[in-house]
Amino acid sequence: MKKRRGDFLFWLGVGYLVLLVIFAVTMPWARHHYLEAKGQPNIGPNAVYWLGTDEQGRDIVARLAYGALISLQVGFTVQILSLAIGILVGVLGVFAPRWIGVPLMRLTDGMFAFPDILLAILIIGVWSTGLFPVIVALAITAWPSVARLVFTQVASLKDREFFIASKALGARTPYLVFWHILPHLWGVLMAVSMIELAGTILAESALSFLGIGVQAPTPSWGSMINNARSDMNSNPLNLLWPCLILSLTIFALNFVGDGVRAMLDPKSRSDR
Amino acid sequence: MQLLKQILLRLSFGVVSLLFISFVTFVADEVAPGDAATIQAGEKARAEDVEALRRRMGLDRPWPIRYVEFVGNAVRLDFGNSYTGAREPVSKIILRGLSMTLRVASLAILLAAGLGILLGTIAAVRQNRFADRAVLTLSTLGVTVPNFVLAPVLVYIFALQLDVLPQTWEVNRVAPDFYYLLLPVVILALRPMAMLTRLTRASVVDTMQQEFVRLAVAKGVPPLRLVFKHVLRNALLPVVTAIGTSFGFLLTGSFIVERAFVIPGLGREAIEAIQKRDTPVIQATVLLAGALFILVNLLVDLLLPLLDPRIREAQV
Repeated sequence: MKKRRGDFLFWLGVGYLVLLVIFAVTMPWARHHYLEAKGQPNIGPNAVYWLGTDEQGRDIVARLAYGALISLQVGFTVQILSLAIGILVGVLGVFAPRWIGVPLMRLTDGMFAFPDILLAILIIGVWSTGLFPVIVALAITAWPSVARLVFTQVASLKDREFFIASKALGARTPYLVFWHILPHLWGVLMAVSMIELAGTILAESALSFLGIGVQAPTPSWGSMINNARSDMNSNPLNLLWPCLILSLTIFALNFVGDGVRAMLDPKSRSDR
Repeated sequence: MQLLKQILLRLSFGVVSLLFISFVTFVADEVAPGDAATIQAGEKARAEDVEALRRRMGLDRPWPIRYVEFVGNAVRLDFGNSYTGAREPVSKIILRGLSMTLRVASLAILLAAGLGILLGTIAAVRQNRFADRAVLTLSTLGVTVPNFVLAPVLVYIFALQLDVLPQTWEVNRVAPDFYYLLLPVVILALRPMAMLTRLTRASVVDTMQQEFVRLAVAKGVPPLRLVFKHVLRNALLPVVTAIGTSFGFLLTGSFIVERAFVIPGLGREAIEAIQKRDTPVIQATVLLAGALFILVNLLVDLLLPLLDPRIREAQV
């Protein structure tokens, strides 16, 4: 019975994410002419502006959708970058000569210890605000956790029979890594990426909320929350929508990540 | 002897991490456009004047020398002057913010640790009953819902609708500080609290299955005494370590909370400095936050042997 509940949440999360992607891809295109200030400010939901307009008379649906696009863009780019760096560093940590591997893993540990998004704030602080710096800063903050995971996984795979057998047959290290190591990692990395993706989207929104992320007029969920705070007394709904869509996205990603992990590891499923 | 060796090892780890953070912040200034000389010379200065000033300020020396100097100054909390405004010394700005941030953060960690351990223990003792499920659901929410969503929502409910708490921090406060700090502290505490709750629960559940607890039950130890004296004393060690790590969440969380409630703390100074591209202030705030994080974790590590005789006596 418990198992079914986990599966239900997993599929609920998958369903929500599919809808979100469709929303993020179609809506900015379908309603792009609503993105600039057009209507009366702060009108309620109606036939033209489905969720009403914000304090500058811009369509909230269009802004939410564009914000979703930004979030997904930042999330996926950062995940791809951090996976690439993390896998590279993790594999090098095991297979490279000690004078490369050991310092690399110490660097990873050091960066991992750096609290949360503090490093991203520092990078943005001395570089610049905007979409590109945010992506780079978050990727630099995100890779150490991937690298540590890859390092421990690779270190244990290296001692398995199939690996030793292939090595004994004369396979070279690059071949071994691509054919005998990486294929085993995809599942674990998928599960971790889903949860990390939630963290990245959250971090992007937090930076935008602080006013040092994606800059106006580009909408982001974080900056929409921040803008809506100023007159939430008269327009609480304007605050509700971005909060809702952000929270739901985070929940969905966590459910999906947990689901993937449970599928990979039958033991954790029975424990829950 | 063993213990002393270990303390020294931990201390040296702490020093190395601090040096790493200081190096990152130093490099940050190196790659940032403009330096103290360009700022001090002003916008209309000629290139050769800036160059002369740079030489006088010693900014033309090779970077390893300047890094050593940077660390030496940083130890004395001397980060030069702010690039903007009244060119105040950076140390004055950050010390002002630091006292406020530490006040909020320490209240939050007290709340998080106290409630987290209490709720986690209750959940573990009532395992799989209603109280357990309620606590687990709430802590999942606490970990997942971002604090910058929670802050405006709680302000809307408690300040605007119910009108029982002030909306933001104010310079002229009419009520005791407690009322102004209540919402920020609760919001800041929520995420570490949820983490500590889950950890305490897992740890207590684990400990309760051990033999010495069964022996204590068989002996007829009263339930409260059992939980506090026998179980918690053993179960709390990983929780104490986690209090140290959750301090990192508090630091970044305070950036959010200070913006949401207009509290003049370290985080708000940092964000303002970033928006004004005031590099010395950014460096100082990040360095200080990182140093605080490392020091707190170091303290926790050093505290552990005091709590656990096993670590004190036998460890490598």
